Amino acid sequence: MKLKVYADRLSQPVRAVIIFCEVNGIEYEEIKVDLANREHLTPEFSEINPMQQLPAIVHGTFKLFESHAILIYLASSFPGVADHWYPDDVYKRSKIHSVLDWHHSNLRRGPITIVQNSILAPVFRRPLNPEAVAEGEKILSAALSKIESFWLDDNRPFLLGENQPSIADLSLVCDIMQVKLVGETDWNRLLGPYKKVQQWIENTRNATNPHFDELHKVLKELKEKLQN
Amino acid sequence: MKLKLYADRMSQPVRAVIIFCKKNGIDFEEIRVDIAKRQHLTTEYAEINPMKQLPAIVDGRFKLFESHAILVYLASSFPGVADHWYPADVFKRSKIHSVLDWHHSNLRRGPTTIVRNTVLAPVLGRPLNPEAAAEGEKFLSASLSKIESIWLKGNGRFLLGGNQPSIADLSLVCDIMQLELLGETERNRFLGPYKEVQQWIENTRNATNPHFDEVHKILMKAREKLQNLRLKGANNEGGESDMKRTLHSRI
Repeated sequence: MKLKVYADRLSQPVRAVIIFCEVNGIEYEEIKVDLANREHLTPEFSEINPMQQLPAIVHGTFKLFESHAILIYLASSFPGVADHWYPDDVYKRSKIHSVLDWHHSNLRRGPITIVQNSILAPVFRRPLNPEAVAEGEKILSAALSKIESFWLDDNRPFLLGENQPSIADLSLVCDIMQVKLVGETDWNRLLGPYKKVQQWIENTRNATNPHFDELHKVLKELKEKLQN
Repeated sequence: MKLKLYADRMSQPVRAVIIFCKKNGIDFEEIRVDIAKRQHLTTEYAEINPMKQLPAIVDGRFKLFESHAILVYLASSFPGVADHWYPADVFKRSKIHSVLDWHHSNLRRGPTTIVRNTVLAPVLGRPLNPEAAAEGEKFLSASLSKIESIWLKGNGRFLLGGNQPSIADLSLVCDIMQLELLGETERNRFLGPYKEVQQWIENTRNATNPHFDEVHKILMKAREKLQNLRLKGANNEGGESDMKRTLHSRI
């Protein structure tokens, strides 16, 4: 009954789930579903996830999609997952839910909008759309500003004033990493004003390496490919 | 140390939390934060929720915002909440998380967007925006279709084949109820194709009445006012400020 993770590492929430599995020693089989080749739209994959999105997991007969739900399920079901990822304490846990919910309507729409309307547009057979990119940049900046001023405490390395990462740190940082696709100059421009955010990204990376770097290699490789 | 709930019943997620509290006998103090009067943008309210949104709760010294997080917290912390609202079983619970997450990126972007850019625009001091409303309509139709064919699959009366409601039913149904503001014709135009959805809304309402109807009264009153003002505005000028004044005094 090995866990199956339906994945394309190009997808931010997929990376969050895989890094989580790797860091916590959760054995899984990674089944590639190639987004650029529209494999997520096949009837076969619809059997796994009728919403036709990634990630999705199958654990025995149990199927699940939506990365936050998956991260919570994994944290709750696999032994050996340290408490800080998804604490038992109802107050800490609720705050994590609060960030994860906020993420959906705030940060999540930033990087994806930027990247899908610029560098990834040809990969997904979409037109370039500079107006949409500008919208995405506004969403991203507003979200980064809130992370910098509210979700990150001055003296603590992770969200919500914590000393150890939670599934919220992993989910949000993987999302921001998508912006690497647009290149160092734009990354520095967009992230530049937010010193705490930059440090937090580094903290999350350090806490989950070598898996973090391993999973994010795909972004470097794709960027090089697209530039040539 | 009574639970404080910062609320404007015109907000769908606020209604979900209030109905949940009333249904489960959770004692709370409802503190009105009037969105139309922009009270959610004050510095006082920012102390409660720096994201300046509703609902928010304060339980002793514990502050929390985002309605799904609040519903999960209440279900987990207050004794006497029946298991079906947020089951202890990890498989059932995970499926509920899945619906709640899906909701954010799908249904949630429907009714609110339509209503804010049409009937509620003058009340909120926004311009009418038919393009934005059309975007909202696309989200709504796509979402209703997915609820009908995927989330309501099976023989249960509620989402995920359940025979009892969960916090997911309450959250999603309260969102769809916002369509009432558009008037019956428009509401029926949207919901008409979806028989399972219509039944499910009725099931959720029955399972949580009389609280469901009581909490939705404000929406029905607002709908009436908006309809009357539209008729009035069709007959004379200056309808916009009339609308704002009347709605503020009556809601």
